[in-house]
Amino acid sequence: MNTVLSVENLSTYFKTDKGIAKAVENVSFSLNKGEMLGLIGESGCGKTTVAQSILRLIEYPGKVVSGRVLLNGRDLIKASEKELSSLRWKEISVIPQSAMNALNPIFTIGDQIMESILLHENVSKREALQRTKTLLELVGIDGERWRSYPHEFSGGMKQRVAIAMALACNPKLVISDESTTGLDVLTQAQVIALIKSLQKKMDLSVILISHDLPMVTAICDKIAIMYAGNIVEWASTGDLLKNARHPYSQALLNASPDLGNPEKEVVSIPGSVPNLVNFPNSCRFHTRCPHAFDKCRQEIPEFKEIKNGHYTACFLEEEGNHG
Amino acid sequence: MLGKFITGKLLQYFIVIFLMLTLNFLLPRLMPGNPLVFLAGEDVGFMSSAEKDAILDKYGLNDSILEQYGTYIKNIFTGDFGYSYQQKRPISELLMERLPWTMLLTGLGLVLSTVIGVMFGAISAWRRGTNTDANLLTVFMFLSAMPSFWVGMILVSIFSAQLGWLPVFGAESAWSNYTGMDRFFDIGKHLILPLATLILISVTSTFMIMRYSMLNVLGEDYIMMAKAKGVKEKVIKYKHAMRNALLPVATVFMLSLGFTLGGATVIETVFAYPGVGRLMFESVLSRDYPLIQATFLIITFSVVIANFLADLIYPLLDPKVGSRNG
Repeated sequence: MNTVLSVENLSTYFKTDKGIAKAVENVSFSLNKGEMLGLIGESGCGKTTVAQSILRLIEYPGKVVSGRVLLNGRDLIKASEKELSSLRWKEISVIPQSAMNALNPIFTIGDQIMESILLHENVSKREALQRTKTLLELVGIDGERWRSYPHEFSGGMKQRVAIAMALACNPKLVISDESTTGLDVLTQAQVIALIKSLQKKMDLSVILISHDLPMVTAICDKIAIMYAGNIVEWASTGDLLKNARHPYSQALLNASPDLGNPEKEVVSIPGSVPNLVNFPNSCRFHTRCPHAFDKCRQEIPEFKEIKNGHYTACFLEEEGNHG
Repeated sequence: MLGKFITGKLLQYFIVIFLMLTLNFLLPRLMPGNPLVFLAGEDVGFMSSAEKDAILDKYGLNDSILEQYGTYIKNIFTGDFGYSYQQKRPISELLMERLPWTMLLTGLGLVLSTVIGVMFGAISAWRRGTNTDANLLTVFMFLSAMPSFWVGMILVSIFSAQLGWLPVFGAESAWSNYTGMDRFFDIGKHLILPLATLILISVTSTFMIMRYSMLNVLGEDYIMMAKAKGVKEKVIKYKHAMRNALLPVATVFMLSLGFTLGGATVIETVFAYPGVGRLMFESVLSRDYPLIQATFLIITFSVVIANFLADLIYPLLDPKVGSRNG
């Protein structure tokens, strides 16, 4: 397998009036060609910050303070603005959080898709337009509608346009950042199915950011679970469902309903997400963890491989007294 | 579709104009004071009632209100705005004399203050939180806090009285017989101070609107998307952000455009600039009914025309507006 993206010890901090907010701390994971990784976590846990850090879109008061983001071996964190401009969209693209706002209201959708093609490839306007139409057809929109403005589309169609736009330059990696938020359940399912089928067809690597665990387990090859700025567990979907090791992963699985098993009791996680400003050196989940002991409150657990391809950060692993 | 849209709008505007004409007719007649005093001056106390009647008859002021209204409407549509009691001249002649100066002053003032406000507003937003932003904000807030007559007087005392660079009042040198380029420069010299005053006091609103609007646009997801697409920063600023941020400015510009023909009363008075604003001020002081009505009417018409232009132009700027109305 060849690795497309490798994120190593990525930390992104935000300066606030009250101190430094460690929004993303020591995050590591990687992604192989043609693989779909689900990045799961509650709202505000840092999923989008991870995506923006990878895309180098973090702006003041935020800053990537350490770590590497290797895209086909090239470190994006160290890349110059000029290098980035040429890498963006050609190598790595994004389907944004809400397509409603991600399309510029004063340009036609055709203009916006063509813009990315013309920016990165040496093709004629005519050819770019032809490709734009093909892309629209690919996501199930009449190609002749390239002349329409964003407000002339429904939410679901705008999301499709955003997908078409993300694929405009045949990127190797696509980050879908909660791209179904704000859509009704049926449209969500259609959009997700579309992303999945395109991923298979074009052999794309996809990072699917979501808080919808059942949906992610249904379509992703691997899953990384985030909590309060850390990835607490990263494993193949099968391993995670059968043998979740981190107490937060277990709690998250218990908190999701299971359509196949209506008897299953949905258990919420007591407590709330800690404030990330000036967070002490400890396991970030210790305040809500039923198994927490002294060490969890004093040290940061290391994120390490416990089984082939199964990573977690929990002191219970080394104590050997996993509950 | 566009034709139907325009016809509908035209009908609306006709109703507005008709209402304004009526109000304009009633307004001076509802105000206290007797026009006779102004027609005949101090002598009115020594006049017999027959003499008074003769004067009122001459100006049609003895007719019933309805008859006066009929005459008024008929005259308006034949381009006859009546005769100024006070200045003893036809009003259309007075207006033709004053309008070019007002258009020069307020038109140029509006365009320049919009351009300057947009430029600095955008720069301020692009450098949000920096010293540049803070300094610009301070300067523009300071400008907006100054009353126009005060700014005018300060400028006159510095540039005319102290330095002697620029003339104190008027639109051009009296009794000079400049022609061609000489006249052009003479008018330009006279224009500088009132124009500067007008820009200084009106530029802040555009600056504030532009800054706020640009900040909003910069926070939009489509700007981040443009960046993610690899669009260069300059292109993002000018192509993606600017046009969206300009929409509220365009609205305010169109609104102000309607009032430009009304002149800038205070500034025209301070600089003794022969514009419509001063004409209006004089007409109110002397209760010169026909002149008051005519100047108000000019403003009304220009507001309506500006609104109509805005209705035509706005869909070109904002695609959302076009499709909603069409």
